[in-house]
Amino acid sequence: MTQTVHRIYISVYVLLVITAFLGLGYYGFSFYNLPIEERFFSPDYALLKPSGLLGHGLGIIGSLLIVIGVFSYMARKRLKFFSRWGVLKYWLEFHIFLCALGPVLILFHTSFKFGGIVSVSFWSLVAVVASGVAGRFIYLQIPRTIEGRELSLHEVEEIKDQLVIAFKDKYNIDISDLNSENTIAIESEIKARNLSRNEYKKVKQLIKSQRKLVKRIERLDFMQNIFKYWHVAHLPFALIMLIVMIIHVIVVLTMGYKWIF
Amino acid sequence: MKFRLFIFLFITILGGNLSISAQISPGDLSKSHAFLEGVSNCTKCHDLGNKVTREKCLDCHKEIKTGVDLKKGLHATGEFLSKDCFTCHNDHHGRNFKMLKFDKETFNHTNTGYELKGAHLKSDCKGCNCVLCHKPDHIKDPELRKKNSTYLGLNRECLLCHSDFHQGKMSPNCLNCHGFETFKKAEGFDHNGTKFPLNGKHKTVSCEKCHKPILINGQSEKRFDGLLFNSCINCHKDVHENKFGQDCKKCHTEESFHIIKETGNFNHDNTNFKLIGRHQTLDCKKCHKLNLTAKIKSDRCSDCHVDYHQNEFNKNGQTPDCDQCHNNNDFAETLYSIEKHNLSKFQLEGAHLATPCIACHKKQERWCFIIPGSSCIDCHANNHKGLIQEKYYANEKCTECHTVNSWKSPEFEHSRTNFKLQGAHKRVTCKECHYRKGENGSMIQKFEGLSMDCVTCHRNTHEGQFDINGRTDCLRCHGLDDWKQIIFDHNLARFKLEGAHIKVKCEKCHKEATNETIKYTVYKNNKLLCSDCHR
Repeated sequence: MTQTVHRIYISVYVLLVITAFLGLGYYGFSFYNLPIEERFFSPDYALLKPSGLLGHGLGIIGSLLIVIGVFSYMARKRLKFFSRWGVLKYWLEFHIFLCALGPVLILFHTSFKFGGIVSVSFWSLVAVVASGVAGRFIYLQIPRTIEGRELSLHEVEEIKDQLVIAFKDKYNIDISDLNSENTIAIESEIKARNLSRNEYKKVKQLIKSQRKLVKRIERLDFMQNIFKYWHVAHLPFALIMLIVMIIHVIVVLTMGYKWIF
Repeated sequence: MKFRLFIFLFITILGGNLSISAQISPGDLSKSHAFLEGVSNCTKCHDLGNKVTREKCLDCHKEIKTGVDLKKGLHATGEFLSKDCFTCHNDHHGRNFKMLKFDKETFNHTNTGYELKGAHLKSDCKGCNCVLCHKPDHIKDPELRKKNSTYLGLNRECLLCHSDFHQGKMSPNCLNCHGFETFKKAEGFDHNGTKFPLNGKHKTVSCEKCHKPILINGQSEKRFDGLLFNSCINCHKDVHENKFGQDCKKCHTEESFHIIKETGNFNHDNTNFKLIGRHQTLDCKKCHKLNLTAKIKSDRCSDCHVDYHQNEFNKNGQTPDCDQCHNNNDFAETLYSIEKHNLSKFQLEGAHLATPCIACHKKQERWCFIIPGSSCIDCHANNHKGLIQEKYYANEKCTECHTVNSWKSPEFEHSRTNFKLQGAHKRVTCKECHYRKGENGSMIQKFEGLSMDCVTCHRNTHEGQFDINGRTDCLRCHGLDDWKQIIFDHNLARFKLEGAHIKVKCEKCHKEATNETIKYTVYKNNKLLCSDCHR
């Protein structure tokens, strides 16, 4: 997958999530904006209430998206059977997409009414999503292979050295110790060499990459420690969410609310 | 790894505790259902696998179920009968959620089985002010009454909301009489449905006239029950004071007290004025000009009758009533007797007793009982006026000669005149001397200046043979007692009767002669000589 295609489908993911959020929010604003006590008397109540045709559907679909997102990613990551199924990075992105879109739908399923056991599930969901967003940031701070495997400090240092040598060879500029102070001077020097536009962009990208790499090397140990703790937060909340969700589904089904079925 | 596990377990247990302790409820129940909060109570409303059923709701809300079973109230009508309760009365929307919320302006109260009509629809009643009716004070059921702002518990009984104006004296179903528009008009009340249908004038009489206010529980209230109406006098005053009994309808109608039935039942004799004589045949309207019941004065005849006599009997400002003289049979008849007349200034005597009243009292067109004086000439014409000297009947006093018994036999002391009546004169009527037939056949009377000579009255059949100085004194030969009594002494005449002459009949010597048309005996025949008679 080229970077462009990757960007497109990432954009599609983001667009879908934002569209779902804004679309549902716009459609049901007049209903969701009502106080809890007034909603029953809204004409949209039958459709948008949690047990309504749309509200209930959003809950079911959202839950399925989350379940699929969680378990597909878990399976890919943990089961040997799926270890060769695609690039882990894309699974992660798919996981993030489903687990972002799902909660959006769940959010509208709850009709922004958070209480009782469902609230535990919902806030767990919020915690999971929030931790996911944080985890995604931490995740990016830890250099990986294309398959997603974490690189060791040594491997990262090697990549950095290769980059420094290549740059030295090509432009006769040492970028081994890039920091915020000398970066600007190096960029000015390259600019003075009258490189072609594309060449110049590449050089800048290299410098940028090198700079990122330097930073990541600096905080790799720290990030790796945080990432350990992040799992502690992300996974249990996900489990709580799933357990309560299951309880919720069981209760709902027991009470006879079967959506369209 | 151990730390990670610890954290995991901690959150899991925490989450688990939360999930156990937290409700699985989708939201707080409303205040009225708050006592049902808690996992253990879910199935009190929710039917497992079947959401919330009517039956579950009605298991608790027995007052609704009762209404539904009895097919009464909103929940037992139309669409509501087949609706799930939760479609209108939802819950889990927070403690302050009002389960009973409807648009009061558009709510069709007819669906409750009780259509709002008339005054119930007025702005102060409809919609915005349901609590005017739906308030605890109007709810009989003590359990329902405890409920805050319930719309249940009312029924169609007007008195649930309205105070009993009639204080329990009338049917509690006000609609029997009153409409919805206004209470004051008992539009629905049909008096003809009562035991006392309104007819005639009763239709227009205001209720209060019969249903007089009485005090009930200290409140002034029209009386509608216990009224006696079997007799008219229950309400009406018996102006006849029971003289005609108490069944007014015998004579009166309900159209008007003044309209009398022409049934002949009425006995006027029961009134203060008995119909006697001509009154019995009179048309009622002759007296009862306005109407038959309007009170008319009947104390005096003159109350009805015109005083023919034009108040001529008024004495000291008092006029005697007609019945002093008249009876009821006819005005022509009179009760005024001779005895009564004799009590007057003019007593009836003699011929006056036989004189019809008309002779004195109806000399002209109309009767007149006021006669200015009581002397004869006040009634009688004085035939002798100017003919008899006043000294013989001063002031034309007839009784100087006449008596009340008859005009024809006057009794005059003739000796008062120069001509004393003697002899046969005593036996003759006045007329024979004082009346003469005139030339035109009329009688001519003469009292004054009448000569005392016999010939004034008597015809001198002797053709003046015995006149002495133009005057013949009959009494020289005739007697006063009898004309035929001859007191003539032939021997005192020129020729004395002697001898055979005494036996000779007069006619032998005194022959009849005729002077023109009058035959007379010739007494002075101057035959003094024998040869005058004898051959």
